[in-house]
Amino acid sequence: MYNTVYVVHYMTNSQDNDNLFENIRLELRRGSLILAVLACLRSEQYGYTLRRALADRGMEIEEGTLYPLLRRLESQGLLLSEWREADKRNKRFYRLSPLGSELLEKLLAEWKSIDSSLNEIVKG
Amino acid sequence: MTPLERYLKNLSKLLPADQREDILRELSEDIQSEMDDKQSELGHPLTEGEQLQILRRRGNPLQVAAGYTNNKGTLAFGPQLIGPVLFPFYTRVLRFNLGLTFVIVGAIFAALSLSGQPIRTGDLFSNVLLQLFVQLAAVTIIFVFVEKHLSGQPHDWHAKEFEKTLKTSIRERIDKKIQLQMREVSRFDSISVLTASGVALLWIQSLWAKPFLIFGPVAAQITFAPVWHQVYVPIVFIMLATIVRACINLAQPNWVRFRDVAALVLDAAALVVVYILMFGHTWVVPIDASSSAAQQVASFVNKWIAAVLWASAVISLFQGIKDFIRLYKNWRWKGSTTS
Repeated sequence: MYNTVYVVHYMTNSQDNDNLFENIRLELRRGSLILAVLACLRSEQYGYTLRRALADRGMEIEEGTLYPLLRRLESQGLLLSEWREADKRNKRFYRLSPLGSELLEKLLAEWKSIDSSLNEIVKG
Repeated sequence: MTPLERYLKNLSKLLPADQREDILRELSEDIQSEMDDKQSELGHPLTEGEQLQILRRRGNPLQVAAGYTNNKGTLAFGPQLIGPVLFPFYTRVLRFNLGLTFVIVGAIFAALSLSGQPIRTGDLFSNVLLQLFVQLAAVTIIFVFVEKHLSGQPHDWHAKEFEKTLKTSIRERIDKKIQLQMREVSRFDSISVLTASGVALLWIQSLWAKPFLIFGPVAAQITFAPVWHQVYVPIVFIMLATIVRACINLAQPNWVRFRDVAALVLDAAALVVVYILMFGHTWVVPIDASSSAAQQVASFVNKWIAAVLWASAVISLFQGIKDFIRLYKNWRWKGSTTS
């Protein structure tokens, strides 16, 4: 009986740890995702190719996350968008606005600083 | 209607109105691009099953729409009871129900006032407060259950099960199954029916126990006529059957024929109840038969109920015809896909 209790307790803890890891992982990715999207949009792209470009570089993002994010960044003035025909279909192309470019440079500098600090901390 | 059109149609109902067209246009383009890529990869036009697989991977329209809504409100007492996806619908249903309740209570009190009955502010106030509480509790409880049910549903429309079936079955058989699933009962329809019937059932139970909820201050003078005792159990049974039907379709949205047949049977049952009521002629009676004031009130209320019953009969008949046409169409549609 004690074994059973122990196993159940262990499984619960293991599930909790998995959930905890997943939550923290998502939180970590959420912040870097904006940076990745802004960096990718230094060259003009439409949603589908942007999603593919991010996925090809190991930053998979669901459509349900990407499109609302693009809208938010556009409403904040960081992106510009335009409907245009390409491959016989109308597509919405996004690109960085001047404000977005300026902000991206600052964010990249911040990212590099965090990265080097973290490396120092992890090395001990 | 193609799977993509159907998906976008479901989604469109849930999106913020001011951005709806723009979001749909962009999502439609994105999905179409993915389908084109898949088509090039497979080297043949996508079957409905393959299209549906792409759509399922994108997630339930309810979840997709939640990303676009600015309303991030939730209901929580400690743990979250109603999440941001359902919250706007919860407030919408609540507003509608409360609005309707105020209109009904207002009409009853106005009618009583016009018929010369004295109305006390205290009665009006306590009646409105009680209605508010009953409606708020009923709608909240139903939405908490719906939220619990939906959060138990897989985010991706059973994508794993779907893929498992895809690997183990013959393609033609799967395509037929998918086609049948295409004609499925919308979860929103089931939730709406569940909410409306649940609230109606609680309302009727409350009325039966406390007639003053509908009669207001004249509840001391009039009461339900015996005809209501005949139809009370059938009415409760019809509502319970409607709730069970909606629950089954919520769990099994592809049981379309079950929905159609059950709806028709319930329509017929509702018509029988209305028929029995209409030929009851008297629906409320004075508690004190010797009181002329009570007789006057009963006569006035009976006139109103007669009008309401005629309207109910017309609505029930119209609903029955509508459900019969739907059953016939779906029957023919299924016949054409299986032959």
